[in-house]
Amino acid sequence: MDLFLQRVIDGISQGSVYALIALGLVIIYRGTGHLNFAQGEMALFSTYCVYQFGEWGIPIWIALFLGMGVGFAIGALAEVTLVRPISKKSPFAVFVVTLGLFRLLNWLDGAIWGNQQLPNSGVGSKQKTFPDLFPAEPDDQFKFLGANIRWERVGVLVLVLVIGLLLYLLFNHTKFGLAMRAVASNSESAKLTGIRTHVVLMVSWGLAAAIGAVGGVVMGGLNNTVNLGLMFGIFIYGSAAATLGGFDSPGGAVVGGMAIGLIENLTSGYFSFIGQEMKLGVALLVIVGVLLFKPSGLFGTAKVERV
Amino acid sequence: MSMLKVQGLTAGYGPVQVLQGIDLEVGEGELVVMLGANGAGKTTTMRAISGLIGRSGMVEMEGHNITRWSPDHIVRAGIAQVPQGRGTFPELSVEDNLLAGAYVRHGGDGIREDMDKWFEVFPRLAERRQQRAGSLSGGEQQMLAIARALMSRPKLLLCDEPSLGLAPLITQELFAVLGRLNREDGLSVLLVEQNANLAMHIASRVYLLETGTIVASGSSEELSADDSIRKAYLGF
Repeated sequence: MDLFLQRVIDGISQGSVYALIALGLVIIYRGTGHLNFAQGEMALFSTYCVYQFGEWGIPIWIALFLGMGVGFAIGALAEVTLVRPISKKSPFAVFVVTLGLFRLLNWLDGAIWGNQQLPNSGVGSKQKTFPDLFPAEPDDQFKFLGANIRWERVGVLVLVLVIGLLLYLLFNHTKFGLAMRAVASNSESAKLTGIRTHVVLMVSWGLAAAIGAVGGVVMGGLNNTVNLGLMFGIFIYGSAAATLGGFDSPGGAVVGGMAIGLIENLTSGYFSFIGQEMKLGVALLVIVGVLLFKPSGLFGTAKVERV
Repeated sequence: MSMLKVQGLTAGYGPVQVLQGIDLEVGEGELVVMLGANGAGKTTTMRAISGLIGRSGMVEMEGHNITRWSPDHIVRAGIAQVPQGRGTFPELSVEDNLLAGAYVRHGGDGIREDMDKWFEVFPRLAERRQQRAGSLSGGEQQMLAIARALMSRPKLLLCDEPSLGLAPLITQELFAVLGRLNREDGLSVLLVEQNANLAMHIASRVYLLETGTIVASGSSEELSADDSIRKAYLGF
């Protein structure tokens, strides 16, 4: 029982990182209908920046907000300079552009910070590990119903729930959120109500990248390092989470992410033959199963139109 | 001074020029109808006035040259358009649709009151205020699209074929509301229609559009007295 509880907490906590990437994907998909392949890499660039801020002695929570600012700027810039001009020509070209952006950002990270794991205290890094948002020393844990729960895990979970709640309030209880929902629903009618749709889209991309930055920093903290491959796997899990949740539902993205984290942690924990290599496969199988019965995902809106 | 004045308006899509230089005018408090067959350029005219597509020539609103203004500026200047088809936000509730319509208004003053006012005019929307717009019937969606446009408190309402796909009785009801808004509230209206009979009934002036050119214009009485026009558009 105690081991089970521990695996559940760890799984949900791991899944909440997927949820952060999924949230970014969903926000962009709702706005423009594009799958942003660069979501993980936009987050990674911000994560490297947060590492760099740490080198300069900036406390982690301030560094996190600065990193979110960097993420917002990258996302907004990408939308204005690349996605918008090209989506006017062809929606398929945007697909290729986000793939290109994926490569470009990863190359840029490598060019600036090198291809080693950072921090590398042997080669001039001041920090021993990637800065942690929450207490992460070996004994930073507490007993709950016999299980050893790490504060770090609980902290990540709470952080993601808070972000989810803030997004919910933004979408449903602010004027800008109404504009975002209107653009997602019918962009031409949104223009006719006086909504500056280009501003909404720019902010959506920025917001998605800023949330992704949080995901990257959390990931760096859990792994104690940042490296060029940090977000590859997370991006796949995040896409799977968004699909499971319904791709246009922020709540679905959170639930989807946590569900996938839970499934992979429980299956790899209890069935040793599945192990680390196969656990993604199991999670994807479950998703396919869900989509067979509910094609629009757990919380997605099925397109219904009366004429 | 006229509410809307359009001179030499040309517009189109890519290499295809649809409007070949159109002149039209809507006076303050006037209800003007533009009639034309499919493909004549009616919707293109509306989209060009609202700034949704590239245009050249001149569009003037209350004496201001708005030809180069962006759609959101044009809405703020007081022009609201009910687009062809269902110009609503299907995933949003009826109330949220109306709130989105009030997007350009500053502060929240009077928005609830206006909403209640349009719920009185369209009682069936009031019954469905929490429902998603996409679940409404065609007629209800058209009412919602009109109410949504009116939530911005426009001076000029552009209405693009509101009768499209609606039952005759619903169309009559809609036109009665438009006529009342024009007479009682002094709202200027530019109505695009194929349904010539009903539209000419509530309009004071009529333009005839054929392949991107205005081929005739005049008061409703003049045009319905003209034999060739009567045969082509009114069918008697």
